[in-house]
Amino acid sequence: MRNIKLTGTIIALAASAAFGTCAFADIEPCTINYVYWADNTDYSALMQDIIAKFNAENEYGIEVVGEEIPWDGGGYSNTLFNTAMGGADIDVATLKLTATPMFVNNDLLADLVPFVDAWEDKDVISENLYNIMKEAGGSEDAMYLMPWNTQILYVYYRPSVFEEAGIEVPTTYDELLAAIEKCTIDRDGDGKADVYGWGMRGAAGGQEPWGSFIHARGGDWDDLTTPEAVAGMQDFIDIYQKGFCPPTATNDGFQEIIANFKSGLTAMTVHHIGSSKGMVEELGEDVGAFIFPAGEGQWTSMGDTENVMFESCENKEAAFEWIKYLAAYDGQVMWCEGTGNIPVSTEVQQTEYFQSDPFMVVSFGGVDVAGILPIKDETTEWISNWPATISQALVGDISAEECMQILNDGLNP
Amino acid sequence: MNRKKSIYPYLLVAPAVLIILCVVFVPVFNAVRMSFQHYDLRKPKEIAFIGLENYVSLFQDKLFWKSLIKTVLWVVFGVGFQFVFGFILAVLLNQEFKGRGVIRAVSLIPWVTPGVLIGLMWRWMYDGNYGVVNDILHKLHLINDNIAFLANPKTAFPAVIITIIWQGIPFFALMILAALQGIPYELYEAAEIDGATRLQRLFRITIPSIKNTILITLLLRIIWVANSVDVIFNMTEGGPAYATQTLSVYVFNKANVLNLGYSSAMAIMLAILLCSVAIPYLIFTFRGEDK
Amino acid sequence: MRQQSFVRRFFTLYLPLTLILLFILFPFYWIFLTSIKPETELYGAVTYITKNITFENYKKLFATTVNFFAAMKNSFIAAGLTTIVSLTASTLAAYAFSRYRFKGRRFLMAMFLSNNMFPTVLLLIPLYSIMRNLHILYTPWALVLAYTTFTLPFSVWLLNGFMNDLPMSLEEAALVDGCNRRQAFMRIVLPILGPSLVATGVYIFMTSWNEYTFAVMFTNNSSRTIPVALKSLIGQLGVDWGLLTAGGIITIIPVCIMFFFAQKRLVEGLTAGAVKG
Repeated sequence: MRNIKLTGTIIALAASAAFGTCAFADIEPCTINYVYWADNTDYSALMQDIIAKFNAENEYGIEVVGEEIPWDGGGYSNTLFNTAMGGADIDVATLKLTATPMFVNNDLLADLVPFVDAWEDKDVISENLYNIMKEAGGSEDAMYLMPWNTQILYVYYRPSVFEEAGIEVPTTYDELLAAIEKCTIDRDGDGKADVYGWGMRGAAGGQEPWGSFIHARGGDWDDLTTPEAVAGMQDFIDIYQKGFCPPTATNDGFQEIIANFKSGLTAMTVHHIGSSKGMVEELGEDVGAFIFPAGEGQWTSMGDTENVMFESCENKEAAFEWIKYLAAYDGQVMWCEGTGNIPVSTEVQQTEYFQSDPFMVVSFGGVDVAGILPIKDETTEWISNWPATISQALVGDISAEECMQILNDGLNP
Repeated sequence: MNRKKSIYPYLLVAPAVLIILCVVFVPVFNAVRMSFQHYDLRKPKEIAFIGLENYVSLFQDKLFWKSLIKTVLWVVFGVGFQFVFGFILAVLLNQEFKGRGVIRAVSLIPWVTPGVLIGLMWRWMYDGNYGVVNDILHKLHLINDNIAFLANPKTAFPAVIITIIWQGIPFFALMILAALQGIPYELYEAAEIDGATRLQRLFRITIPSIKNTILITLLLRIIWVANSVDVIFNMTEGGPAYATQTLSVYVFNKANVLNLGYSSAMAIMLAILLCSVAIPYLIFTFRGEDK
Repeated sequence: MRQQSFVRRFFTLYLPLTLILLFILFPFYWIFLTSIKPETELYGAVTYITKNITFENYKKLFATTVNFFAAMKNSFIAAGLTTIVSLTASTLAAYAFSRYRFKGRRFLMAMFLSNNMFPTVLLLIPLYSIMRNLHILYTPWALVLAYTTFTLPFSVWLLNGFMNDLPMSLEEAALVDGCNRRQAFMRIVLPILGPSLVATGVYIFMTSWNEYTFAVMFTNNSSRTIPVALKSLIGQLGVDWGLLTAGGIITIIPVCIMFFFAQKRLVEGLTAGAVKG
């Protein structure tokens, strides 16, 4: 079944590609050096398959040479940056929005607007997404990133614990806070919680779920010192200090929150679709998902992966062939089906494969409230300082106001 | 000692000096220059000479001072215990017993273990929920509640220090073991005839005979440990609440966000700090030579 | 004196040795245990032995995209070549520093010592340009050159320290007997120096073996080394514990076996020197 649908999609897309006019018909056979990271060995194998397929099937004799660099907790961007500054021959690379300013400010990236304008299928990607890309590059006219795939953060929960606590899936922020408290359960009566309501991420990457709390109280990124934002911070601190999340939260990163959720130590935690496969393998039916509910405001973080073209690339038209292959055609289908990420191509999104996955459906439901951190020169530094600042507040060294003042100074100097 | 004027020694040091000059001279010079510049690659258009401004703001940076103190503690406890355990291990491995070769080989394991794995494995062992350290302490009835070692600012720093001690023991053990081989056996025989106790032999023969090796390995290790980043970075990234942020981790974090000017200034302060250990050593060594 | 009682030997050798080894080896055991445990056993009650031994991870290690054989080969080449180059250059330099007095000697020695005081993270961009301009990027030589640079200062000082600890009488006797300096160096100094050369060589080898930052920048898919291969097992979606620990074990064991043979030299050096003395 799935294969038939896949083939259908491919035929449809191939047909639309064939009808399109070749604005850059003079593409010569050439080599494109492509740098990417893979989150596990399966993804790595998948990328190699996509590259092989492109090399075998593209009509211009373009040969993509893939070069994998470890993600290294984000060190990937720095490695890529250092080699690019040192004069490496890289044509195309995978990147995240937050890492863009350093590349753009040093004039390393090529503007993709002329290529996108000349691309007949450009409308399969929503205008909104293109605008986010432009914003991240700090310019209204130029666009340095081509969308590839996204992830929407949502709340994973354990239906069995909800049942034990006698609650339903929360629909408002207040209900969520109540649910966190009620799901903290001391089963054996020894005075210590056996299940914690919330799997809090206090280490690297925790700013994303945390942002939902700030927005739920009505705060926003532009000014983190508003009473609303501080109130959201206070909720976050209360969860920790009242013992509704594991005491290890200040050093819990992705690894720990997922492990705690899978082992049953926590009843809820925030992550995106990328971990759904593992959750289902471990927990079977006993895992569900909902979008972080609305309070005064509502926000959830959108994870993103894009492709960029380097200014030093000598065969830009050929490079763009590869970039759009990943954004809309077979590359898009293969990658998103294989990794479970959300496609950026609306045509691919509509295929039944994506419409039948419950976690994908929850993700689509969050698109309207999903956003990204403001991409500024300060953003990467702010992200790297976030855990240390937050943990000071969690352990009580500083107050919610002080914490938000420090965070605001970092993000909005 | 050859004091004749000869081209020979220059020929001998030439390869080593050439390699170093060719590779690090430019980058290090560049880094020193950056420390006097507003050099932030996120804003490459604003790069400009600013004199000592980086150093001035550094002296006002509370985190810098905190990291400096952490660095001193990190080095003193880290290297100190590495040395003590390494020395004991070397002396033990120098005795004859069955299976010594195998034990010597396996003693090196912490050093062979890739840095990536060290940080992650220890982080896993310290884990507050599933960590084996907590489990062992429970079984020994030393604790009732799990300790979140790396999540608590009070325990995180000792925890990473224990890891670096673990990692560094083999270095000292190996170096001291090698140096022990150079001690002429006759010295011990003579001491035995004089009726010296084990402890006397240790302090009167063993330690003085390998004094040079001890001092230089200590110094080299201090420099290495002060600059090491990967263990801390893989375990805590400097957190929680900056509890494990040494100066080198601070430099690393600042460099990663491309504030290379400030980062270089801090690195130079770290180098000066290390010189305060190295220069007395050099004076001591060179004075010893003149005698 | 030679026949120590067992009790005495127990307290002066076996007990302290066991305690230190327990500390040293436990994490290694834990790595090994993790590599043969099924992943489901990782979370939950801590188990010290596992009934469900699986070697899947080891099989997978050589079947997935992480080309572990190639990475091991590359690591051995890079670390091996570095050891040869760096050890040769540092032995010569250390001999000059230890046995000659010449103008600029102290300056050079101080320069060597200060070389490693600077964190490499600040040197990466210019270093990459240098390697590129030398046209050795992605070849083992880029790593060899970088590692040699950063192991030389330590090796020179280490060997200088070892040489200063060696009694000078043997060499002087040889010189009196009519050997020239080169002969004295080859026949007397090198053999006695055996253990120190082994120790320094091990230092150089380990440092190159474990290095990540240069390795990830100066190599490509075909010249990746082990630390890079291991790191690629840690993505945004977490750590592949099974593969990572299996990779770690496979990395550690051959080096330990190598050292088992090398350590014999630690003793041979002594006897060689003693015979001639």
